[in-house]
Amino acid sequence: MKETPDAVKAYIAISRRKLIGTWGPAAIAGLALGGTGFALHGRQGRHTPPLPDSALALTDWRMDPDDRRLAIAGGGGPAENLRRALGAMGGIGAFVKQGDKVAIKPNCAWDRRPQQAANTNPDLVAELVRQCLAAGASKVTVLDNSCHDPGRAFDRSGIAASVKEAGGVCAHQNNVSTEVRNLGGSVLGSWEVLRPIVEADRVINVPIVKHHSLSRVTVGMKNWMGAIVGSRPNLHQRLAQACAELGDAFRPTLTVVDATRILTGGGPTGGSLAQVKNTDLLAVATDPVAGDAWGASLLGIEPQDMPLLAIAERLGVGNSDWRSVEISV
Amino acid sequence: MRIRPRHWRILSQSVFLFIFLGLFFSLSDSRVPGALASAMLALDPLTAVSTALADWTLPRWSWVGLIVLMVTALVGRVFCGWVCPLGTLQHLMSWISGPEKRKRAKINRYRPYFALKYIVLLVLLGLAALGSNHTGWLDPIPLLHRAFAAGVRPLWMGTAVPAGWVAFGLLAAILLLSAWMPRFFCRVLCPLGALLGLFARLAPIRIRRLDDSCTGCTLCVLPCQGADEPLGDHRVSECHVCLNCLEVCSENSLFYRMAGDGDVVSQTPDLNVGRRRFLLTAAATAVVAPVVQVAGGGFEGSSHDAIRPPGALDEEAFLSRCITCGACSASCPTGVIASDFGKTGLGGLFTPVLNMRHGWCEPSCIRCGEVCPTSALSLLAPEAKQAIGKPAEVTIGTAFMDRGRCLPWAMDTPCIVCEEMCPTSPKAIEFETVQSKDREGKTITLQRPVIIPGLCTGCGLCENRCPVGGQAAIRVSSVGESRDPRNQMLQRVIVTADLEG
Repeated sequence: MKETPDAVKAYIAISRRKLIGTWGPAAIAGLALGGTGFALHGRQGRHTPPLPDSALALTDWRMDPDDRRLAIAGGGGPAENLRRALGAMGGIGAFVKQGDKVAIKPNCAWDRRPQQAANTNPDLVAELVRQCLAAGASKVTVLDNSCHDPGRAFDRSGIAASVKEAGGVCAHQNNVSTEVRNLGGSVLGSWEVLRPIVEADRVINVPIVKHHSLSRVTVGMKNWMGAIVGSRPNLHQRLAQACAELGDAFRPTLTVVDATRILTGGGPTGGSLAQVKNTDLLAVATDPVAGDAWGASLLGIEPQDMPLLAIAERLGVGNSDWRSVEISV
Repeated sequence: MRIRPRHWRILSQSVFLFIFLGLFFSLSDSRVPGALASAMLALDPLTAVSTALADWTLPRWSWVGLIVLMVTALVGRVFCGWVCPLGTLQHLMSWISGPEKRKRAKINRYRPYFALKYIVLLVLLGLAALGSNHTGWLDPIPLLHRAFAAGVRPLWMGTAVPAGWVAFGLLAAILLLSAWMPRFFCRVLCPLGALLGLFARLAPIRIRRLDDSCTGCTLCVLPCQGADEPLGDHRVSECHVCLNCLEVCSENSLFYRMAGDGDVVSQTPDLNVGRRRFLLTAAATAVVAPVVQVAGGGFEGSSHDAIRPPGALDEEAFLSRCITCGACSASCPTGVIASDFGKTGLGGLFTPVLNMRHGWCEPSCIRCGEVCPTSALSLLAPEAKQAIGKPAEVTIGTAFMDRGRCLPWAMDTPCIVCEEMCPTSPKAIEFETVQSKDREGKTITLQRPVIIPGLCTGCGLCENRCPVGGQAAIRVSSVGESRDPRNQMLQRVIVTADLEG
């Protein structure tokens, strides 16, 4: 192909305006592409690596780590029992201060009525909410990561209604978010924890005493299973270890062990009233291991029969000899 | 013979076709660096653009594609006319079909429906922006790799799967259509051509026509590959820079150059898409995207035996990066990596899944991650998949025993093949030794295999060698794959020393 001399001249004589007009758009596109390349090259993308073990640990919510007491009350119904046992421990005012955000963790895992004793007694939870609010708590959140549909569990257990009446707020895995916390231990590591617990100033664990096919009895430390979100079924391969480590990671201000009714078989879901025993008892403990040991004793299980308690003692969570720290009411 | 611009173009096309073939066959040759073997895919601008939109990253060498876009913004769709091997194959096809077919003004005039490729591009980029990367379905470079990887190579590997026929059928259809209309696919459907076309509109160097000497004879339209009509207002976005028009011009009025003084000053014709159609397509894409993502696939919907290659990112991230090129499949020495059709849903069409009856994941091999152009499969250390003296860092699943099919379990017939083959140390398969009686009443000793899930890497050698035909008696499930913390069945043990007992 032969170039005409005119065309050659045209190239030499090109004006600045024409040069910019011709090359400008291409130059701008080139700069934009180059900028995009520099900005995006080697970015990590959306792949989610396993939860980082560099996450923060949980707050220690205890008032006094050396305070290891257990007060038992009975015979007056859940609300009265709570008032008496709390009174023996110095009253709620010793644990909840003006303006505190309080998280209450009952067992509200199942679509069961209070009479079936699968969930914590709703009157007890309501009384605890009232006490906290009376002590000046700015907000009281009652929460669980339910095993059944949480809406049904909170409704059927009576907890939703009684908490609302008492002035508290209910939360569960479907209506609050989570935050990653490193729970440490040998089998836990990082987990998502329901946010109201992470953000609370004080935390009160309110488990119910129930039979459990694997751990024999489920009381307080196993109840923390409802505070975390994730592959909880996997924790059952070393359940005692996992529950003891949960007890090590979650250090509550108080443990209130509900034994208004206890489930003696078919736990932890229950269902049959024949397996429910009306005991009308309750314990308030600053020592979670003592609380669990007392609960187990109601089902006739001694601490030495429960590996969970031995591991928890070794981890320094508390003392399973509840009789030595008991305050009778 | 005088050397004309067209001859340089043909030389370039031939060289790149051979480069494509050479690199394709080097995918499985571990002496060739993986990034080199998949270089054609890194050169593809849609690899970069779709990954950038879907996962906000430009992994590995994919940024090179942006340079191709820059070059296109200077000189037009040279990639289409001079480099693209699918373009070359179509070119070859129309050449074989004869001059009376390909050199016709009627077939080489621009038609409004050629704008369809911009709609295709819009849909694919829209899907990518919403997290599902499917440009590879129609992007010519992955399409061609896939047709060879899933459709051709399995023929001599003995690993043919249905997806391979679909992948190869797409290529065959494209070539057949090009016998009827030159570069039908490039003109009508190619999303890469559409993307390059957008940038070509900026090009200062393009086909220019001298106003005073052109007689309007239409000779230039006859051999035009892109149907871009150099005669009128030149459609630079459609032009493949094949340069056929230059030499057929009897008046020497056509040039490929920067604008000269006597050149026709023409507006670049618009893309024929229209605002209304653009907005409708964008809206429809936004509605369809979630359906494509979850239809029978994703983390929740994928089949339990959809095993991803080692080093795969978690399912969502993987699907946002995988361009379904099949490079991993072509690189696999055992032929275990198949192209998926159904196990991982619509969003997983053509993505790699392992078929353990075809092969197994060789413990020390990391080739698939080496060749993956977007790091949908990460680059692994050779030790990562091996479980020698400790559990493997990267696992792809867990083997399960089907005691109803296993010879020693179900039929009192001695067999130890799975245990024998298990490459982990200690072995992830142990024996339960029992005494039993055969039909004559003679006492026999049976070694019944039992799986130790914490040691299993999911490599599938046991399933591959199981003598029980069809459905093996030991089969790998995806559970336990290290890529996704959600798909675990075993309790995580961080510190063994603190454990009770």
